[in-house]
Amino acid sequence: MEKKSSMGRQKIPMSKIPKKNRLQVTFSKRRAGVFKKASELSTLCGVDIALIVFSPANKAFSFGHPNVDSIIDRFLVRNPPPEPCTHRLVEAHRNANIRELNMKLTQVLQQLEIEKKHGEVLSEIRKASRAQRWWEAPVNELGLHELQQLKVAMEELKKTVEKQANKILMGSFETQSPSLGENNINRLESKPVDEVNPAANSNVLPFYNWGYGHCQELL
Amino acid sequence: MTRKKVKLAYIPSDSARKATFKKRKKGLMKKVSELSTLCGIEACAIIFSPFDGEPEIWPSPVSVRHMLSQFKNMPKMEQSKKMVNQDSFLKQRIARANEQLKRQRKDNREKEITKVMFKGLTTVGKLLQQDLNMLDLNDLGWIVEQNLKEISKRMEVLNKGGSINSSSGATAAHSSSQGEKKSSGFEQKQQRWLLDLMNPKQNNTGGFRGEDVIMFPFGDGESATTHSNNLWSNPFYP
Repeated sequence: MEKKSSMGRQKIPMSKIPKKNRLQVTFSKRRAGVFKKASELSTLCGVDIALIVFSPANKAFSFGHPNVDSIIDRFLVRNPPPEPCTHRLVEAHRNANIRELNMKLTQVLQQLEIEKKHGEVLSEIRKASRAQRWWEAPVNELGLHELQQLKVAMEELKKTVEKQANKILMGSFETQSPSLGENNINRLESKPVDEVNPAANSNVLPFYNWGYGHCQELL
Repeated sequence: MTRKKVKLAYIPSDSARKATFKKRKKGLMKKVSELSTLCGIEACAIIFSPFDGEPEIWPSPVSVRHMLSQFKNMPKMEQSKKMVNQDSFLKQRIARANEQLKRQRKDNREKEITKVMFKGLTTVGKLLQQDLNMLDLNDLGWIVEQNLKEISKRMEVLNKGGSINSSSGATAAHSSSQGEKKSSGFEQKQQRWLLDLMNPKQNNTGGFRGEDVIMFPFGDGESATTHSNNLWSNPFYP
């Protein structure tokens, strides 16, 4: 499940990229990057901007604030456009909306950072574990005898899990009316399931709220 | 480049804003220029700022005008197709970031569950202490099953007594398909593996008697490999 990390920062010659594939990839990435920079410049400094970029396949990509066409017109006509009151109101609205979007973006990016770091911590822990416990090594590295042992242990664990699950279901049935089954499955189902964050529905993970110190707990 | 993270909002201080504008404008123009050179394509930028009456442009007024007429001459559809403004652009970025977040969280959860599994292999007591709820148990059971599959497959390979080369080739194929299966398992939120198992409709006696019911789909004592597939098509959660 681990993604390969990219090559990292490398110095490249400032001339047209010879290989078509790499050229296309570079175009996609850099175009996105340049749009991002334009968006940031516009937000941070409150300026109007337009970027027009033609792809290797001659498709037109454009970014503009407030919008590409108005900037083009403004540039070509070269007369300051008249600004009636309604215009200002629309602009204020638009800017407020953009402000909110920027806040939302910042929020999501922060959460992503946290999760990535968490992932790294988990990977480190796993790496350390693997060195100490042979059964945590990838299956392909184990010998037949070891696999046998592991299989037995896994099957034991499966039984335990099933027992525990059964126990929970029994427990919840006892607290409900005699017409069991359906009711309780529905009860479990009616709990709102957090789609974006599977961990939110689980008891395994207090980590999200408490920080990384607790990762040590399960070791 | 910068050490401090800049807040993505309008800079209130005039001097700071002007300084930022100068730097970033320069940086932006450089990036546009690089894009143009590296990819052998045409690009232009137009910036209207309150600091200057004239718009700042790249590469040159003539080139810009040329590109603008080229742009305007395209059918309206072609112009709009890849056109964005702040609103649409930011929404795209948010959507993409959310996708990454979702993926990362699933990844992390799988790592967590795997950790719990390995813990549970050796110290069952501790496992039970952890107070796992149905969802945890569900995912845990699933991961255990996946591992059992891998183990069985690997054992098969070893038992066939193939040479080291052929077995590693086979296992490479296996592990990649296992890898895919692992991710699809967690992708499908609706893998109510255990709940399916506990499906009262399957139970004739009308009650749950622990071992009997649990072992039902695994009746003949064989491992999960042959029977688990039935559990995945879930009548409760289509």
